[in-house]
Amino acid sequence: MKAEASLADRQYVLKESVFDSLRASKWLFAVVFVAPALIFLTLVVVIPMLYSFYLSFTNFNLVLKINKEFVGLDNYVALLSDSTFLLSLLRTIVFMTLAVNLELLLGLLVAQLLAKPMKGEGFLRTALMVPMMMPPILIGFQFKWFFNDQVGLVNNLIYAVTGQTTQIPWLIDAVLGFISILTAEIWMGTPFIAIILLAGMLSLPKEPFEAADIDGATRFQKFYYITRPLLAPYMLIALAIRSLDISKAYDLVKIMTGGGPAQRTELIWTYVTRLSMVDSKFALGCAMSFVSVAISFVFTVYIYKQLVAARR
Amino acid sequence: MKRKWVMSGTAVMLMLSVVLGCAKGAGTDKPNEQTSKPASNSAAVDNKDNKKPFEGVTLKAALVGGGSYEKLYESIPKFEQETGAKVQITYKGNFFDLDKKLKIDFASKSDDYDVISNHSSFYSQYVDSLEPLNNLFSADDMKDFTPMILNGGKRDNNLYMIPRLADISVYFYRTDLYNDESNKTKFKQDYGYDLAPPTTLDQFKDQAIFFTKNGKGINGTQFAGKEEALTGRFYELVNAYGGDFFDKDKKVILNQEAGIKAATMLQDLYKAGAMPKGMVNFLWDEVAKNFGNGNVAVYSEWPGWYTWMDDPASTKVAGKFDVVRAPAGPSGVHPGWSGAHGFSVTKSSKNKPAAAALIKFLTSADNMYADSKLGNMPTRQSVWDKVLSDAKASGDARKINFYNVLNTALKEDFRTPPLIKEWIPLSNILYPYLQKIILGSTTPKQGLDDAAKDIEKMMKQSGN
Repeated sequence: MKAEASLADRQYVLKESVFDSLRASKWLFAVVFVAPALIFLTLVVVIPMLYSFYLSFTNFNLVLKINKEFVGLDNYVALLSDSTFLLSLLRTIVFMTLAVNLELLLGLLVAQLLAKPMKGEGFLRTALMVPMMMPPILIGFQFKWFFNDQVGLVNNLIYAVTGQTTQIPWLIDAVLGFISILTAEIWMGTPFIAIILLAGMLSLPKEPFEAADIDGATRFQKFYYITRPLLAPYMLIALAIRSLDISKAYDLVKIMTGGGPAQRTELIWTYVTRLSMVDSKFALGCAMSFVSVAISFVFTVYIYKQLVAARR
Repeated sequence: MKRKWVMSGTAVMLMLSVVLGCAKGAGTDKPNEQTSKPASNSAAVDNKDNKKPFEGVTLKAALVGGGSYEKLYESIPKFEQETGAKVQITYKGNFFDLDKKLKIDFASKSDDYDVISNHSSFYSQYVDSLEPLNNLFSADDMKDFTPMILNGGKRDNNLYMIPRLADISVYFYRTDLYNDESNKTKFKQDYGYDLAPPTTLDQFKDQAIFFTKNGKGINGTQFAGKEEALTGRFYELVNAYGGDFFDKDKKVILNQEAGIKAATMLQDLYKAGAMPKGMVNFLWDEVAKNFGNGNVAVYSEWPGWYTWMDDPASTKVAGKFDVVRAPAGPSGVHPGWSGAHGFSVTKSSKNKPAAAALIKFLTSADNMYADSKLGNMPTRQSVWDKVLSDAKASGDARKINFYNVLNTALKEDFRTPPLIKEWIPLSNILYPYLQKIILGSTTPKQGLDDAAKDIEKMMKQSGN
């Protein structure tokens, strides 16, 4: 018994001495613990990113027998004259703007409804989470079937209600295809915003509302002058996260239309993939990725500034 | 102080080794399936005097999966037993996904497999990373292969691919619709000639439009509407209209008269509602299933689908369809975009003779005959002869017709796309323009002129 205790003491003393030695130099202590993460990040993020940045200034192609030559800003200049890229960029911005705003409106509505105590609220809140549990690929397949022109639910519903037998080409027409993908994106993203806003609403102080009731404020006035400003930081956080998510939209589009037909529903990341992996224009794809990331970065900084302003 | 540095250094090294060890472990390719089983119950394994030729060799393979390929892979343990080699299939996917993987792996020199599945449309892109097979396969090994198909895997007199099966499309048509008396009468009234399976593209177009108008909700025809599937179909139509994609000097000529006529035919069929609205999103599975569901009267299809199509448990058209040679264009040429599936050895392989042995096994007469039972077209003459005599012996008129039509198509219409490494890049440029033409967003001439301009540019960049 005594021997065991003595062994444990020795181990404890040894551990103590190792940590004491490390603590003796704070700088070294920090380095030792941060180093693995830094090395890992450098290997899997920083180096590949720097290398792809370098590639964006070359004419590297996966298939064609071209030597990897430095071509300066040629790829970036080529992007400016690539109408498909410019259209994809514009389409992505419009897509993001519409999706985020509609998700915010719907999310606000759902959060308002769920904020009131009611029967079955636990079930409703869980049900709200369902789209968040589903992977985007599955949602893509689901909506692809909904909007299929021959056997899709939507066309069959229209046929059942109106007797109209014309197949509406939901995933073929440029505008209808855009609307179809937008619908899927909104269905997928609204619950996330609703949950964040619901959490925000439940944490709001009661006093301002009670004071407003005494002053005889209407429901709209209470929402506009109290709920909205108090909820603003939550809204901005939800907006920032969803905007970045949507600016990276790929899975849904890839599954539903593949960016086609005739590149009618191409968004920026489906076009990047097409250029890099399918057309083998890897260098051009890298350049396009960096332009897209730069735009996302500017957008994030803007949202962050708004967030800081809202918290003042 | 010195002790502190030693201890800190040791701690850093330990952490580094853990991180790097994890990273290495994470990056290791795990064979997803088909990992070889050691040749069990074989006395030869332990007998040094009777050592098997590739004992101790592990072959890695990146292959096409699904369909008849899975049946073929079930025979691999036999190869392992015979040779002592182990086979690990480290990647399986369809041809398009495999192509994307191979391009990236070859470009980054990270290919660590010995054998790959290949296709006559794809292999030209990666000949620099493939081992010429001339020295691994003797003339005797190759004498049974149909020369025309074998040539589909050759570049500059070097053989890069051993064909496993050949592919050439024939036209599937619904016998119930074509034999229907009211359809026959109505068609004769409308078009002035008898309704029969099309022998020319003009007849095909007439019939596709006729069945759309009179077929109670069915589409007259359809084509796969994207990627190389669309480019290939367009290529064979251009041939049938008397044109080509390139002239002798490699100048792009697909935007000339033949190309415009072929594109106009596709646009006219879509405009007339004779093709499904969603066809521009169709690939092979979709067109086959659409015909299988009874939605289409006549269309071009790969023979590999015949068995599935004729299975009442799978389709609504089982027993109600037949095949005919692809209808000829005005030039007298029958559409015959063809290809061959095969296998290649990578240049980076460290076990090339063993890799070649695996390919010899996979393309052996026995395996090929077994494949033919699933509807595949063999590339060995001896197997093809056996298949034809089997069909005759069966006395089944549809089966006999199927193999006779295939035989004719294979002998007279087999035409691979240009064997250039730019074929897939070309296709990726062309097919969105073809989609625009089909959908009516641009005219055939304008669309093809724009495509030709972009293709010329790509060819120049590629050093042509």
